[in-house]
Amino acid sequence: MKNLIKYTLHDYIRSHKYFPPISTFIIIIFVFYTYTPNPIIDSYAVTAVVLYIISAWVCLSMLQLDPPVQRQLMAIHVGSWNRYYLSKLVSVLVISIILSAFAFLYPIVFKMFSEPVTFTTGLVTFANHIILSILGISLASLFSKVIMKSTINSFGGLTLTIVLSLAAVGIERVLPPFLKNILWILPPATITQIPLLDWNGRHIDNLALFPFIWVIIYSFIITFLFLQLAKRLR
Amino acid sequence: MIGDRDENGGGSAVTMLVELKNIGKAYDRESVLKNISLTIGKQQIIAILGGNGVGKSTLLRIVAGMERPSSGKMIFQNKKIKIGYAPERFPKNIRFTPEEYLNYTGKISGMPRSIMHKSIPDLLKRFKLEQFNDQWVMNLSKGNIQKVGIIQAIIKRPDLLILDEPLSGLDSLAQQELLRIMKELKKEGTTILLTYHESNLFEKMVDAAYYVKNGVLTKTIDIVKEPIKLLEVERLDESNVEKWDEIINIEKKTDKLLLYVHAKDSDKVLYRILQSEGSIKRVVTVETPGEDNT
Repeated sequence: MKNLIKYTLHDYIRSHKYFPPISTFIIIIFVFYTYTPNPIIDSYAVTAVVLYIISAWVCLSMLQLDPPVQRQLMAIHVGSWNRYYLSKLVSVLVISIILSAFAFLYPIVFKMFSEPVTFTTGLVTFANHIILSILGISLASLFSKVIMKSTINSFGGLTLTIVLSLAAVGIERVLPPFLKNILWILPPATITQIPLLDWNGRHIDNLALFPFIWVIIYSFIITFLFLQLAKRLR
Repeated sequence: MIGDRDENGGGSAVTMLVELKNIGKAYDRESVLKNISLTIGKQQIIAILGGNGVGKSTLLRIVAGMERPSSGKMIFQNKKIKIGYAPERFPKNIRFTPEEYLNYTGKISGMPRSIMHKSIPDLLKRFKLEQFNDQWVMNLSKGNIQKVGIIQAIIKRPDLLILDEPLSGLDSLAQQELLRIMKELKKEGTTILLTYHESNLFEKMVDAAYYVKNGVLTKTIDIVKEPIKLLEVERLDESNVEKWDEIINIEKKTDKLLLYVHAKDSDKVLYRILQSEGSIKRVVTVETPGEDNT
């Protein structure tokens, strides 16, 4: 798998398809920190949600890199379809980790915050970036060309789902109580925002951890679904 | 090994490598392959023949584990079988040089570095590709892209090598080189499953040939024992000929039809052509054991 990940990243760089999503992310971070000082946890909570969208975009473009025959050849070489697709998803995660590091370090290095970032705050907010990236990646895999044959369904479906997931809080307010459980189906992109904004940033014990765990569980379910569907559709 | 395969529980011949049991494949309810059963032994060269669009490539992709059969199952004697597959059309948009690409595929397959460093330059040289090592595969000619497709399949010395129309686009030197490599691989224990058209280059080395017609593996042609005749005819409708059981393969060339039949059936078929008011342009023996074409 390690070599397929290297191959995928090398190919992604040569394809130049990384340019639109990554440059968009960098510009957003620059613009977001135009005015100083900024609150630490609130700022990181926002950049993590931005990274959720960007990771989904990178995943969509990376899963389009291999044409169908190349996909089949690589699956033969790597030994299984699961290994092939997981390598692709891990390749996206590698890029997301680099982008997380950028989003995390940029405001610290250029002194965009009014106070220093403590170890605990840093750990939690960095982990939040990674967790939301994983959610974005898993979601995009389900809407990629591997599963969706038409571009409209692929891009349109993903965009609509991301918009709905971001509007979840607003939707919850207008939904009658008996329908509120429907929201569990939506990707929990904003579920970690409330505990983060309510957190004092001192002790991890003061932070509600369930939303973070739920995002991970949700992402794993979606990834499992993607792997099963990808195998069935071959 | 990829895909969903069962390990053989035993009981079959020792030399069995793969067994296809009642394999069927349908796309959008249209059946392409029906109830195909085939046992592929070790160290054999097996040809799957048939006209265009009869499902030969589909069958090869199913054996390679790249496509899922709609029904039936594949039984592999060894679950960890190494498979090499050269597609009919190798992807054109590879953004690596031939050497880079082959190095990656070797590493991804888990080949030892020492073997890779020896065999990749050797194969590039044998297929006259070493001079193109400063170019990406996507910028090479069709024939050279096809060579990369063949090398990536044979590089890991597979137990089962699957070649889909391997000669298409290759120059005669590369064709001869491929034949030499196939013989070497067979000697080392590789089983080769292939399809081909318009070629009798393979026929002397093929151990058994099967023919796909109407989605069914209809005939076993014992190529080594039986000579085959090529009848070149005009003014004959293809749909008419397709119903004749004696025809092994039909190829269409502009206004001509090329019909392959066993020598023993040729008189019967010639009579039928004349009855159907077709015009016979040429009759050629395309393969005879131990002889060159006449």
